Amino acid sequence: MPCEDYREALIEAAARDSAPSRELRLHLDACASCRAVSSEELQLFAAIDSAVRTTANGEAPASLLARVRVQLNERPVPRRAWVPAGVVTAAAVVLVAVIVLVRGFERDGGRTNPPANSSAQSIPPTEIQPAPPVVASIETTSLPGKRKLPRPAESPRVVGAAQVRASSVLVPAGQQRAIEVLLAGLKQGKVAGEVLLAGQPEKTLEELQVSPIGISPIEMKPLEDLSPRSAPQNEKTRR
Amino acid sequence: MQELVLIQPGRAAEKEFAGEAAQVALRREFEERLAECGPLAYRVARGVLRNDADAEDVAQEALLRAYRRFERLRDRGRFRAWLVRIAFRLAIDRVRSRKRREVRETLWSQSPPRPSTEDLAAASEFQEHVDRAVDELPEKQRLVLLLAAIKGHSLEEVAETLGLPVGTVKSRLFFARKQLAEKLRCHAKTIVKR
Repeated sequence: MPCEDYREALIEAAARDSAPSRELRLHLDACASCRAVSSEELQLFAAIDSAVRTTANGEAPASLLARVRVQLNERPVPRRAWVPAGVVTAAAVVLVAVIVLVRGFERDGGRTNPPANSSAQSIPPTEIQPAPPVVASIETTSLPGKRKLPRPAESPRVVGAAQVRASSVLVPAGQQRAIEVLLAGLKQGKVAGEVLLAGQPEKTLEELQVSPIGISPIEMKPLEDLSPRSAPQNEKTRR
Repeated sequence: MQELVLIQPGRAAEKEFAGEAAQVALRREFEERLAECGPLAYRVARGVLRNDADAEDVAQEALLRAYRRFERLRDRGRFRAWLVRIAFRLAIDRVRSRKRREVRETLWSQSPPRPSTEDLAAASEFQEHVDRAVDELPEKQRLVLLLAAIKGHSLEEVAETLGLPVGTVKSRLFFARKQLAEKLRCHAKTIVKR
């Protein structure tokens, strides 16, 4: 084999950082020029390795981790949005529709109740009495019709924490967050219940009182009943 | 009129507490890896950028990115490889933008910034040749070469870090070194002098 082929083999061996083959070693023992080339190649690769190591082994500054920790404290991880945006939009649409329907039911219920009709219509919607904070019991107005919804408890019930968790309550908009945190704290024992009674030690801590929301049933009437001709008949039938 | 809001207090607050607890656990887990892998990110970045300040910036950015996406990393055992790739990619991007900026500045001023005396003293001629040759390597080979050159990194560890078979790592390293040797052979005399 000519020296050129051996030189190619010895460069490859140097590049692989492996020992030369037996045949190559025998040739190197016999060929001085190839030995010189081999020596140069080994020097070259050693120098390359040294230079790359110099580049790659810079000491990380002590400030790096401290800087990262500061940044981590400043920028918390954004919560991953598990629910797709489309679902959120659909839920919002449904919620708005439910609110509109509920308000519609309330208005219709007022019309079908003659004694309260005149006063209810005269009261603008802005004069509706606000529910008391935290504990909000909504009285259900039973219609004079035969159909009745299951009535809620007459007096506010005292319910356990588990029931409170599953219940929905109406609270003033500004206090929503504070009430959520307070209730969770109470439930998990992070907030002592006695704190709430600090000014009145003689009172015992009562749990939240929640009454379920009652929605009056809507009375459906055909359109012709509302026409002027049929109005007197309607009044008669009502009487 | 007082606006009323319908809420389910227990559930919302519970979710919030659970979320906070998860955040704390996530942060703790990340912190454990930060001390171990932070210097590695820096070295990878420095291997590409060869500038301490830039490397620190890139390593910091890589670690912050890793933290922001840490929750989505299913196999936490792959964190090291993941971080190395982020740091390498960010460093490559920074080199490219730096080159573009240098080209713009050169076009405007027609006088490239002269290296400082300190830089001249620090960088040997051969080191510059090697750095340039390393920059011209394909990215896959360059990453393997840098990781293999980091102290205490065996080929098996490089393979594990990159999620590659050891044979692939050896092959990439072989081609990288061979290409470097071909480009640097003409500077062999400089080496002998040194």
